[in-house]
Amino acid sequence: MKSDVLIIGGGIQGSATAYYLARHGVSVVVLEKDYVARHASGVNAGGVRLLGRDLAEVPLSKASMQMWQTLDEELGHETGFRAQSIVNIASDEKDMQALRSRQEIMRAEGHDHERIIDQSELRDLLPHVSPECVGGVTSSLDGYAIPYKATVAFRRAAERLGAVFCEGEELVGLRRVGETWLGQGRHQRFEADTVVNCAGAWADQIALMIGDNVPLSHAAPMLMITARMPHFAKPVVGAVSRQLSFKQFENGTVLIGGGAKGFADRARNATRLDYKKLAAAARTTAEFFPIMRSAAINRMWAGLEAYMPDNLPVIGPAVNADRAFHAFGFSAHGFQMGPIVGQTMADLVLKGQSRYALGAFRVDRFDRKVL
Amino acid sequence: MQSFDCAIIGTGPAGMSAALRLSELGATVAVLDRAPSPGGQIYRAVAQSPLATPDKLGADYLSGADLVSAFSKSNVAWMPGADVWHLGDDGRIFYSQDNRTQELQCRQMLICPGAMERPMPIPGWTLPGVMTAGSAQVMLKSDAMAISDAIFAGSGPLLYLIVAQYLRLGIPIAGVVDTTPRQNYVAALPMLASALRQVGMLFKGLGLLREIQKSKVPFYRFATDLEVVGTDHAQGLRFQQDGASYELSGDAVLLHHGVVPNLNLARSIGLDHVFEPDQLAWRVKTSPFGQTSCPHIWVAGDGAGIVGANGAKHAGELAALGIGCELGLLDDVGRDQLAEAPRKASAGQSGFRRFIDRLYQPAPDLMLPTRDDTIVCRCEEQSLWDLRQGFQSGARDPNALKSLTRCGMGPCQGRQCGHIVSGLLAKWREEPVADVGYYRLRSPLRLLTLEELARLQDGESAR
Repeated sequence: MKSDVLIIGGGIQGSATAYYLARHGVSVVVLEKDYVARHASGVNAGGVRLLGRDLAEVPLSKASMQMWQTLDEELGHETGFRAQSIVNIASDEKDMQALRSRQEIMRAEGHDHERIIDQSELRDLLPHVSPECVGGVTSSLDGYAIPYKATVAFRRAAERLGAVFCEGEELVGLRRVGETWLGQGRHQRFEADTVVNCAGAWADQIALMIGDNVPLSHAAPMLMITARMPHFAKPVVGAVSRQLSFKQFENGTVLIGGGAKGFADRARNATRLDYKKLAAAARTTAEFFPIMRSAAINRMWAGLEAYMPDNLPVIGPAVNADRAFHAFGFSAHGFQMGPIVGQTMADLVLKGQSRYALGAFRVDRFDRKVL
Repeated sequence: MQSFDCAIIGTGPAGMSAALRLSELGATVAVLDRAPSPGGQIYRAVAQSPLATPDKLGADYLSGADLVSAFSKSNVAWMPGADVWHLGDDGRIFYSQDNRTQELQCRQMLICPGAMERPMPIPGWTLPGVMTAGSAQVMLKSDAMAISDAIFAGSGPLLYLIVAQYLRLGIPIAGVVDTTPRQNYVAALPMLASALRQVGMLFKGLGLLREIQKSKVPFYRFATDLEVVGTDHAQGLRFQQDGASYELSGDAVLLHHGVVPNLNLARSIGLDHVFEPDQLAWRVKTSPFGQTSCPHIWVAGDGAGIVGANGAKHAGELAALGIGCELGLLDDVGRDQLAEAPRKASAGQSGFRRFIDRLYQPAPDLMLPTRDDTIVCRCEEQSLWDLRQGFQSGARDPNALKSLTRCGMGPCQGRQCGHIVSGLLAKWREEPVADVGYYRLRSPLRLLTLEELARLQDGESAR
């Protein structure tokens, strides 16, 4: 199968890249070893979060947030996006101090989307919060979406523009012959001028085929969701220094995260859960929100996610091969960036450059100096 | 934390006979069941029946009392009311007793999850007033409760047994609508010869049918196009028979068309499964001793493919021998010697089983919904139309369809609709069910309060 661009990985980064490339009339093939949105892109917590981002990511994340506001119309499919403020709760004065120092730095950079709130405003926003909490920070630009739907929305929009998605097709070999990339899948062969590596938790293996060696690791962040309960929390909830994270959806179910990790078994496409850590997340949730004690947990799960040592993604060109690009290693906060990453990758493929500073995301930033 | 050579989940005939054999062999055995007394579905409450005349339930039911009595006298660690919510492939088990999670560790694990009734998604099957015939039997056995003037509809030995039990107890029945297709009798005929080796079983079945026919209860055979009548509650059952349309009135409709292995425990551990074409159902892939793709986890009884109560008893014994051998309590030779009797006994039943499987193979249009507005997923109220939309949007895998439509995301976590969803996708993809696969099930195996989970801490959960 021949195309201009071959994208490896049918997650949100790969699907969005396919969409923005197809919009420019480029022929695109996406290889997905399982099915689109099978892993991190389909089973994550769905946070569309600008709050608390690493400074290097803020410009991209801000631009992406703008794109989310109109993404449903843009793609012609529902992503499940809802604008909803996020509140990160400060449990003590030390947390408040940390928030104030961050705010000074953010202001200096010209970012003013984060706003510190005091105890009474916290209680107005979250009437069921434990009385011990002293304040927090909020960002009203944020929101959430339904991960599987959002990823599939990109896929369907890309397909409408002619992109081809090959599901159940794993890339087992890739080499550059002259000006052409030859890809060997389990079932068929692929030929393209350009490859884009969006392979998530498997991206280090694809990077190696391209020629770049990266210290990517993978892990299994765990989530649990409750049965429907009465509405008690409108904003998405996090904490400044504790592993607390949950959101209540419109249907009343509550999704609890917090970042605790289970066991990732990449070779078998599988994850196992660490129930003692989930129990700790349950304790934290109940401590901050006593109303949650009676919540009924309906499902617990984990997805396979890729992490870089500095928790920042790799976004940019390959260093050891021409006409190859990477977008992976989002370290459990890449879902929100999907739209802007798709557009950025399209810019890199088509124009060789992006309007955003991508220096912090270079693939070779961990290369050892030659001694 | 308590630690055992073997933990057995389920106290039906498979679990009890395995427990007895393993404790004879000298293993330390924990036996867990959600129910307060042993017996499983088939021998539920047999040792302390609330019925004045439990003999009306039949000799097969009463015969379970011997096994229950032997089990109760054995030295296994019997944990009644132990509701398992997590089975780990590391031998770790979490279970609730009195809303508190306990934890145990085992070297070998035997799952005897039994069967569940095959869903029968006819129009109106989710209306209040519609239940499965099996649940009516549970009410009868555990609480001596019956439903008067119910309409029974479907096919298969269990349906006829429940109807006969109702008749013997003098409970009025509005009608019996039999959906066994006419062509099944033709298709099953070649298997009759080998079924005759179990002539006693055959006569037992015929006896049940004769009891129904001899009664004054309206009995309709070869019924098709079933539909529960009613808007907010069942008011009757409409169906076709030989081109004529019938409607029975009644505010209780009890459906049943066979049982399938209960997959929920085995699927949550990720054991390999196969789709059994003779039984049109998934079952755990096992060795003749019940060993699964995870070598220290075993499955016996109906959960590993429908075998019935006697078959389950033999399967439980075989699994116990396999486990005993793994534990070093007996060698291969000893195991095989002891295995000869249960092996022969279960082989002797296979001809009869094949005959029954074919004769009562459910009609295809009763296994999958045919009308757009028929609900498939009760928890999230997803209809056939909703699912077809999802499929047409590109969701070809059961888990993808679930992510897109929420079908299977509710409190039962797809444990009811899973069979239907895999069947529908197979039909739409024009591929075998085996290629379509099934939902990824996860712990907890039932709803678990946040408070109970929060109390789970190292050390604290152990007694």
